Amino acid sequence: MGLNYYKIKRNVLKARKLVIQGTSAAGSGHPGGSFSMAEILGCIFYKHLKYDPKNPTWEERDKFILSKGHASPGLFSNMAVAGYFDTSQMKTLRQFGSKLQGHPDLKCPGVEFCGGSLGIGLSYSIGNALAAKLDGKDQMIYTVMGDGESDEGQVWEAAMAAAKYKVDNMTVILDRNFIQQDSYTEKIMPLDEELVGDDLTDMWKDASRWKTGDKWRSFGWNVIDVDGHRIEQISNAINKANQTKGIPSIIIARTIKGKGVEHMEDNPQWHGKAPKPEFVPIIEQELESQFMIAPSIIAGDMSNLEKEVRRCEEGRADYIHLDVMDGQFVPNTTFDHTKIKELRPHTVIPFDTHLMINDPVKHVGDYIDAGSDIITVHAEVCDESSFGEISDMLESNQVGIGLAINPDTELPEWSYKFIPLLDQIIIMSVVPGKSGQKYILSTHEKTQRIIKQLHENHFEGYIEADGGVNLDNIGACFEDGARAFVGGSAIIGQSDVRLIIKEFRNQVLHSRRQLLIKKAHNLGGIELVNQWIDLHVVGKKKDSLVQIAKELGFQ
Amino acid sequence: MSEQQFGDMRTEYGKSLIEIGEQDQNVVVLGADTTDSLKTAGFGKKFPERFFNVGIAEANLVSIAAGLAYSGKTSFASTYAIFLPGRCVDQIRNAIAYPSREDKKGLNVKLVTSHGGITVGADGGSHQQLEDIAIMRAIPNMRVLIPADSVSVSKLTWVIAQEYGPFYMRMARSKTPIVHSESQQFEIGKSITLRDGSDCTIAATGTTVKLALDAADSLKQEGISCRVIDSFSIKPIDVESLEKAARDTGSIVTCEEHNIMGGFGSAVAEVISELYPVPIRRIGVRDKFGESARDNEIPQLLEKHGITSINITNTVKEIRSKK
Repeated sequence: MGLNYYKIKRNVLKARKLVIQGTSAAGSGHPGGSFSMAEILGCIFYKHLKYDPKNPTWEERDKFILSKGHASPGLFSNMAVAGYFDTSQMKTLRQFGSKLQGHPDLKCPGVEFCGGSLGIGLSYSIGNALAAKLDGKDQMIYTVMGDGESDEGQVWEAAMAAAKYKVDNMTVILDRNFIQQDSYTEKIMPLDEELVGDDLTDMWKDASRWKTGDKWRSFGWNVIDVDGHRIEQISNAINKANQTKGIPSIIIARTIKGKGVEHMEDNPQWHGKAPKPEFVPIIEQELESQFMIAPSIIAGDMSNLEKEVRRCEEGRADYIHLDVMDGQFVPNTTFDHTKIKELRPHTVIPFDTHLMINDPVKHVGDYIDAGSDIITVHAEVCDESSFGEISDMLESNQVGIGLAINPDTELPEWSYKFIPLLDQIIIMSVVPGKSGQKYILSTHEKTQRIIKQLHENHFEGYIEADGGVNLDNIGACFEDGARAFVGGSAIIGQSDVRLIIKEFRNQVLHSRRQLLIKKAHNLGGIELVNQWIDLHVVGKKKDSLVQIAKELGFQ
Repeated sequence: MSEQQFGDMRTEYGKSLIEIGEQDQNVVVLGADTTDSLKTAGFGKKFPERFFNVGIAEANLVSIAAGLAYSGKTSFASTYAIFLPGRCVDQIRNAIAYPSREDKKGLNVKLVTSHGGITVGADGGSHQQLEDIAIMRAIPNMRVLIPADSVSVSKLTWVIAQEYGPFYMRMARSKTPIVHSESQQFEIGKSITLRDGSDCTIAATGTTVKLALDAADSLKQEGISCRVIDSFSIKPIDVESLEKAARDTGSIVTCEEHNIMGGFGSAVAEVISELYPVPIRRIGVRDKFGESARDNEIPQLLEKHGITSINITNTVKEIRSKK
């Protein structure tokens, strides 16, 4: 069974947009802490939690307990996406008469804990877990706590009790976003070490300075550290935690408060403040413009792909792009599913498997079994019936569904009905078959044209730019509408993969900032542009935005 | 007159829990390092898998109890009165009383404490809980009981085990005189009239019920006829009986081992002033803290705060002149 990566990602985006809509309509609420835990809740709701939104009190369900109750918009938005209630209800958040109270409340069917007063949820979760054990139920309790919340002494009372009672049917996730209401946690009440000055960057990055895990370990817990915005890491940690028996488990998820919206990120001001309505469309555009970098490892040492996978891991790639060539659909041969299976244990980074093979319907099962997280097949070798079969297999195995077209191919008529299901479309910008070719310039125009078509047909996936993508053209590819970028020799061919990926990201970030400033200008002229820029108070973001606005003639 | 019998509330509580636990597999008992004292340890011996001693961590105690209750258990959480309502009012309010779904108001947690009031004695003012009625009755969905004797404890433990929802029940530390017969029935929201009378009503709760009876007996010798009510159910309070007492007897004296601010006397005054105003006098601790007193000195401590049958007698006489 796959990771359900794309479904999770899609739903996380929907949930984030609902948080913005809900808090903005309410004029108050806590977007910052809702966004820091967005991927965590995505993994819980769309991969691990057992529940039935049509029967919220189903006896055999797992329970999700949001101990950091102020992040209720994050919970409610996921409940809406999961189908507990209609997404339109998010606009009633915090309103008189709404079941979506300021903090999670049993008034809303599906909510399992009245949060709000901090430090109680872990004890309460232990109670639920003990009850499940007494009743002999195969039931998990998932609890999300805050780091500011960890100031509460009761948290540590509960930590001791969970170890004493060997509560192993409960998985706790600490949303370690380093910010509480007044300021950085490490200034108010350090969990790692006291922060001197106002720059958290070094401490955030330096694992040798993190002591939160040691605290939990010393209380007798199994501790797993993850990047709390990496779906694959969170999900893998949840699996490990759930399998650990005899002691309680906590996943310490290092996160960024306000993640997904640049001006909210790492800014303590956004702990408990709602975005103004005029910024909502810009923020939505920003959320829709998240992007992924996917190195293609065939551009590296084919005799040692394990090493290339490690380089991608060290370089913090979002996906690993695996070009499978059969010597028939394309002249070259690379590797097949047996190699992918060998590579799978080396990383949890999603495998973005691109099948450049004939008769993909015959082989797709092998590639699912090998551990692919998305499988993209070529339209040229499918028809409605075979692609329908492929799509069903992928969906039922929680593997992403991708469709690719060659430079000289258009999206076939038969594919339109599948568009809402597609997680990814690859518009090839080189003739597939080998690494190191030049980007075909007409692909820009083609991508823009196809995207219009896709939006008319309810596409919710990502466009992946594949072929000749480099630092010079990645910005233009982003402007076309591509959101995932395969880098062959331009990434894997470089000596410092981490550095080049960072440069790729910065380039896309620059284009995204341009896009958002243009959006602000369209919506409210120079005045709104300036207001938008002024929101960006943390770090050097503002300087860059001012520069971009000048270049665009908006200053 | 037969010799006064005494009973130990905690012993009856512990015995009742075991009996209830035998009948109802859903009952769980939690303690906080006071399980020998609260006599819940016996339940733990008998049903170890349904017994949780969480150590000296009362916030954790009541919140784990809440979690167990949310998952369908009937949770009894017990320790000394001083450590529950005051220390854990937030957890009791937000994790036990507040969570409500449809007709289920609050979670099914029974907070049963001992060492209520100043008769705790030797441990001193830090351990004498005199504010619990005020705290607990201000919380919606919470019901508040103060049994007068060990018979009441035994019966009420069964009642609250069978009635859904949060309860606070306070017991005394010492053995207390038995005022009820074994056949007495107890109903939430009802009081028990122990003596009928027409000149004045003495409404008492907990250990002061015995003082009220003594006062009534002594007043009877002087020709004053007092009605004595055991108001073990402070919330919900027996409005009907109190209003009737006001109409029938024209004045009410209340007695409690609690601060007169916000306590039982206040609850009675609220009801009577709205429904049938008559003169009321509240006997209790007058906005002070307690202090140490060895067992043989507890009468002196009670006397210092005016919680005596003589003070009740004098107060009844004084209030009658105001009618």
